[in-house]
Amino acid sequence: MSRTIYWGSLVLSLSFLALPLLLVLPLAFNTSSFLIYPMEGFTFRWFAEVFGQATWTSAIMNSIRVALGAMVLAVLIGGLAATGAILTGRVAQVLLSALFVSPLVIPSIVVAVAFAYAFGRAGLSGSYLSLMLAHAILGAPLVFLSVLTSLRGLDPALDQAAASMGASRLHRFRHVTLPLAAPGFLAGALFAFITSFDEVVVALFLAAPESTTLPIALFAGLRDRLQPTIVVVALMLSLVSLAFLLVLGWMQKRTATSRQT
Amino acid sequence: MSILSQKTHGGRLAALVLLVLPLALYIIVYLVPLGSIVSLSLDNRALSDRFPALRVVLDQGAEATPDMRAAALISDLGGLDARQQGETARLLNQEISGFRSLVLETSRNAATIPPTMEALLAFDARWKNAQYWEVIARNVSPISWRHFQKATGLKPGPDGSLYLAEGDDIYLRIMLRTLVIALQVTALTVLLGYPLAYGVANAPRRWSTFILTVILLSFWTSILVRTTAWVVLLQTNGLINTLLIRLGIVSEPVQLIFNRFGVLVAMTHVLLPFAIIPMMNVMRTIPASQGQASRSLGAGGVETFLRVYLPQSLRGVVVGGGTVFILSLGFYVTPALTGGPGDQMLSWYIADFVRRSLNWGMASALSVMLLGGVLLLLTVYGLARWLMARPGKAA
Repeated sequence: MSRTIYWGSLVLSLSFLALPLLLVLPLAFNTSSFLIYPMEGFTFRWFAEVFGQATWTSAIMNSIRVALGAMVLAVLIGGLAATGAILTGRVAQVLLSALFVSPLVIPSIVVAVAFAYAFGRAGLSGSYLSLMLAHAILGAPLVFLSVLTSLRGLDPALDQAAASMGASRLHRFRHVTLPLAAPGFLAGALFAFITSFDEVVVALFLAAPESTTLPIALFAGLRDRLQPTIVVVALMLSLVSLAFLLVLGWMQKRTATSRQT
Repeated sequence: MSILSQKTHGGRLAALVLLVLPLALYIIVYLVPLGSIVSLSLDNRALSDRFPALRVVLDQGAEATPDMRAAALISDLGGLDARQQGETARLLNQEISGFRSLVLETSRNAATIPPTMEALLAFDARWKNAQYWEVIARNVSPISWRHFQKATGLKPGPDGSLYLAEGDDIYLRIMLRTLVIALQVTALTVLLGYPLAYGVANAPRRWSTFILTVILLSFWTSILVRTTAWVVLLQTNGLINTLLIRLGIVSEPVQLIFNRFGVLVAMTHVLLPFAIIPMMNVMRTIPASQGQASRSLGAGGVETFLRVYLPQSLRGVVVGGGTVFILSLGFYVTPALTGGPGDQMLSWYIADFVRRSLNWGMASALSVMLLGGVLLLLTVYGLARWLMARPGKAA
């Protein structure tokens, strides 16, 4: 009896979580322009349509450009902040962490209004730079946490060993600490990229028509008319997330094995 | 000893050098903009700058005679150009309807009115009404609670005490709606997420890996993509309606989207992983031997679960539910795409003020209230976690 309830509720919840995407995404390949089953046939027509329309292709390019810029800035901000924070005392570290992580918990609409007003006054509204800076602030907390975690996990004996052989502080940081913390930087960079690539609310307020990103184009398309091209774009965004997870998992596995040997 | 202090000194210096750039960028690009919306929400210069003479007179308090007030008002209103007249009238009309025509007429004819109260009242008897004077008196100062008063519907009465004006509680109702939706989503995510978290922590290894993979995939798939899936599923001629009709459950399509149902289903789906992950982390720490002990003492499966497992997993439920609640308060994209006009949350109205009417004052006031609510909850939540973590450490 209790097992039936357990397995029943487990299967129900798991279906609720997994089925929507599993059901909807294959419709990107359906020949019919109606988004229902049974599928009439298999086609790449809607993919060709997405890659043939300037709205979508320019949005894809904008998204990649903004995400790369935001990633570089976020790694710079978050990475420096984490390496600096680890050297400070306990109280300072707690305060710095609260500051650098706060963009994660502040409602995105509030940040969006603040960015829109500030960048508007600075004459940056609609520019790529404003999107990159805003997304960098949203991605930096993830880099910060990821780098901080990897720095905290380092064995202090390695640094002491280098010091005992006469390596200077800077030399040790450059040649011992940073290479060991590299996986944290890489994971943080991935987090920052995907955060920017998927971000909607802030981009809605900052993007001009010519700097529209893929999620904004998808948001607008959803409000306009439901068609298979929308499912194609959703599928592409999901594949980017999947690739991201695979790379992250592969990196974690590699770090784990290199730590063992 | 000297080496140690030198070392920490060097550490401090290095930390400072490393932190300069990120701190500077955070302050310029993030903290200053956030601060600017706080000041925007109180900024009343659009109105106060129009009444320089009246501000000076009103500052004199009881010494200001009615004639001085009338003269200052006539000179201030007479000094406005056509655009300023319109804007001033519009802003004042937001406080008392009917003020617009009085302000416009007085300012257009200011040159013809002699600077006395008698003449002003002769020009338009409406100036006898003290309410109009009170509204102006409140707005001669560059800082005002005007936007917050509008957001809460609370207005200062003649004696200075606040009262809730009839029919002015529109934003209070929206805040209440936001809270209700957030609570409903929290309850649903905890109910649906609990079995999944339990599965990850207790199912055989292959199963638990599979469930965890599904959860993480869902977690990292963009909110917009998952909302898109629900829009496709729930539309009038969508998958679910087609299925329901084929199964003979309904004879014609049911409205599943652009109403509260659509919002709750999509938001629950989007936020489910945020509830599961904390619950899962707590459940992983509950030793399986406790359940075995309870069973060996004769308790059944249900009793073991209710008396041994559930109480210990509650900490995860509170953390997971709290996370979902705080996140859902600020939701915008999902309700905007799956809800109707009556299902929009506070964020939608903030966006609307900026995008449609460029009313930065109201957008900022509502943002400040949303942010304040979230920060308050986070503080309570942090305290609760800290208090709950303490007995665990002692044990």
